[in-house]
Amino acid sequence: MSRGVIAKTLHEFTNALERTLISEDSAHGRGLLQSLDPRVKLVGLLALVVSASLSRKLVVLGVLFGLGLALALASRLSLFSLAKTVWLVAFGFTFMIAAPALFLVPGQVLYKLPLGSLTITAQGLHGALLLMVRVETAMTLSALLVLTTPWMQLLKALRAFAAPVEVIALLAMTHRYIVLLMETANAIFESRQSRLVGRLSGREQRRLMVNTSGVLLSKTMEMGDQVFQAMQSRGFRGDVKLLTDFHLRRADYLAIPGFAVAVAAAVLAGR
Amino acid sequence: MHIPDGYLSPSTCAAMYVASAPWWWSALRRTRRKLLGRGLPQLALFAAFSFVTMMFNLPLPGGTTGHAVGMGIAAIVLGPWASLLAISFALTIQALFFGDGGITTLGANCFNMAIAGSFAAWGIYSLLSHGAAPDSRRRVVAAALAGYGAINLSALLAAIEFGIQPMLFHDASGAPLYAPYPLRIAIPAMMIGHLTIAGIAEAVMCAGLFTYLRRNEPALLHLPSLSEVNAPRPVSGLWATLAVVLLLTPLGILAGGAAWGEWAAKDFSTAAARAQIAAVSHAAPPASAPTGLARLATLWTAPIPDYAPHLAIKSAAFGYLLSALFGVGLILSAAWIAQRLWLLASQRRVQ
Amino acid sequence: MTVILPTYELDSASPEFAIDNAHFAYEGVAALQGLSLEVRAGERIALLGANGSGKSTLLRLMDGLLFPSEGTVRFRGAALTEDALENDAFSHNFRRRVGLVFQNPDVQLFNPTVFDEVAFGPLQLGWKREEILERVHATLAWIGAEHLKDRAPYRLSGGEKKRVAIASVIVLDPDVLLLDEPTAALDPRSQNQVVELLESWNNGRKTIISATHQLDILGDIAERAVVIERATSAEMLEDSDLLEAANLIQPRRRARVSL
Repeated sequence: MSRGVIAKTLHEFTNALERTLISEDSAHGRGLLQSLDPRVKLVGLLALVVSASLSRKLVVLGVLFGLGLALALASRLSLFSLAKTVWLVAFGFTFMIAAPALFLVPGQVLYKLPLGSLTITAQGLHGALLLMVRVETAMTLSALLVLTTPWMQLLKALRAFAAPVEVIALLAMTHRYIVLLMETANAIFESRQSRLVGRLSGREQRRLMVNTSGVLLSKTMEMGDQVFQAMQSRGFRGDVKLLTDFHLRRADYLAIPGFAVAVAAAVLAGR
Repeated sequence: MHIPDGYLSPSTCAAMYVASAPWWWSALRRTRRKLLGRGLPQLALFAAFSFVTMMFNLPLPGGTTGHAVGMGIAAIVLGPWASLLAISFALTIQALFFGDGGITTLGANCFNMAIAGSFAAWGIYSLLSHGAAPDSRRRVVAAALAGYGAINLSALLAAIEFGIQPMLFHDASGAPLYAPYPLRIAIPAMMIGHLTIAGIAEAVMCAGLFTYLRRNEPALLHLPSLSEVNAPRPVSGLWATLAVVLLLTPLGILAGGAAWGEWAAKDFSTAAARAQIAAVSHAAPPASAPTGLARLATLWTAPIPDYAPHLAIKSAAFGYLLSALFGVGLILSAAWIAQRLWLLASQRRVQ
Repeated sequence: MTVILPTYELDSASPEFAIDNAHFAYEGVAALQGLSLEVRAGERIALLGANGSGKSTLLRLMDGLLFPSEGTVRFRGAALTEDALENDAFSHNFRRRVGLVFQNPDVQLFNPTVFDEVAFGPLQLGWKREEILERVHATLAWIGAEHLKDRAPYRLSGGEKKRVAIASVIVLDPDVLLLDEPTAALDPRSQNQVVELLESWNNGRKTIISATHQLDILGDIAERAVVIERATSAEMLEDSDLLEAANLIQPRRRARVSL
């Protein structure tokens, strides 16, 4: 489809931009997770993700997933948008990967398919389920972190755990410029989309994509110089400095042991 | 190819973080001096650019589309160390912010794509374009192959990480705990998609951007002016052929059996091998290996007999590919050394 | 040859800026060819010139971001050279005293929130934390952007971005403010806001140098205009022939400009 590629790419850019904006919106909402110190969230939720990784029991994973759901509800996150962005995607992708495992993993036969010599094994079923539930749970928990924390605070929380200053500053700037480049790329594609009259051959489409990419790269380089000058103009000499001001509040003093208990239980029960 | 959370065991994830850490640390140290200057915003911008590139759908011959990662052009423009940082940043933001690729698996993703990918791309490009004229076609082909090689190496590493999971992490009844496929399934499954679709996308993107930059911003590519370089004849076709042959070597296994005339001495005494020999030669083989063959056969024991390195990996295709890579690597190194010696000699002659 | 209009007679203190025969070229293309200019403390000047006349380059020379290939640029008598700005004390002092607002606010807004953006300058200059917080809040309140303080810069409108960009420079309380096309790409209301900001910020001691090609705001932001062009004659701004020669107006629309 001649318009297919451009329309598809445009669609992806717009989606990504939307996700960025939505993320910020939900991060400023008034819910349970939003009220916690970002450092507590970072450690707590990541620890839960790791415990999901460590778990070998489906039941434990199920409980962790339920916990994720509960936290999402308490943080006033739309389950619908969570489903759209996290669950469906993870499910589709993981199902495609896990499904063949039903047949390919050797072991005790559960069910023999009427066609050919395909058999579903108990081990295959267990393995496939384990993988799918684990992926869903992990993705939900990490999505919770991102959806309830403004990007800046997430980066500063990382800084609090001794991530190098340049890395944090670079991540912040990278994010800023991702949005800028996405907007520019979006504009380029929109204008091309509206100017397309006939079909483009595969070769022409490829050239279009590569040229757009090239233009974007040129703009990137040009901006780089100007950005640096702007930074110098305000006194930048190579040292990156950040303003951090987190303080623990009452909710945090409850959340910390809460997370600790959940993680310990998950790890112990899931062995 | 972004590995999500849950596919790799925690110990694998930890191991990959540990594997990546020294590279990150070293890259930060090396680029720190440059970061004090204009390097800082440029690195961030390049990381952003690579992030955005990962969203471009490239239409490919056959009607499908593929995604490039961008480590090819990043490595060529920025050099491997800055490139590994830039791609790592892009991957980190994808994981943290867009949920693309897991957080526990970020170390693995960075190792595969940012670190191994950058060095592979840079190495292939440097090697293949060495001594080529700034405007030669060889450079473009080198860029294409750099992208292709890099993304396939990343995919291969990811496939290995997947493939060893069931072997190492399974419960008492044998059910896999993480990624459920052994190497012999994981590798072809990943590689087929990357050797074809994704690999071509990366090659096209890398070569295309290279050409664009060469025309519009040649300084970025550190290309010397024409007067400084002896322009050798472009041999692009040769390299392309070599690369294709290299990557198709696993198909050799599918051809089944040994190539005609390459039988080992012991093949003459095993019934199955004898039957094969008879089939391809349309004649019955002698009762035992000819004495000359038997004597000469033991003269040289190759370090990697039968193309299958003695690793705990039971995949014949993988062993084949590994040996092929190694063999080509040897040939390329030899060729490079030879070329350098030749250049040295010719310079001396000029003086 | 570049043109300069005659200066007023002010007091004899050393000029804020003394540019003498500056040359600058971008990749072989000459941007400035022998420009000389003097700016006294407290003056409000407009740099006029068509696009490509070298206004942006001149501003960057004055902010010590670019250095002339020939000629000198002096700030209060001290030459702005690469070596001079390597010196920590000089650089610290200079960056505090002179601020530049870029034409494209996007290159200037690279921090995660508006608050961080305005705090960037003071942070770089090593101010104390309490002082920074106080100054940033005060500046945000002054430009009417307090409600934006936690917003990410990419979510702002054009006018808001411009105001935040100005705030991020003004927070340092510089003595000299350089502005590159301050009203470019802004809607009329935002333009007004910017002009009002500049008017209220100046209390007679501040030097404001704006590069612009928008003649209708000149009267509000400048007392004197310098036309940068390759013509050879020099006259005061009211002369519309000069303006036409400098490609700032065309015969059909003669702008009535009063100083």
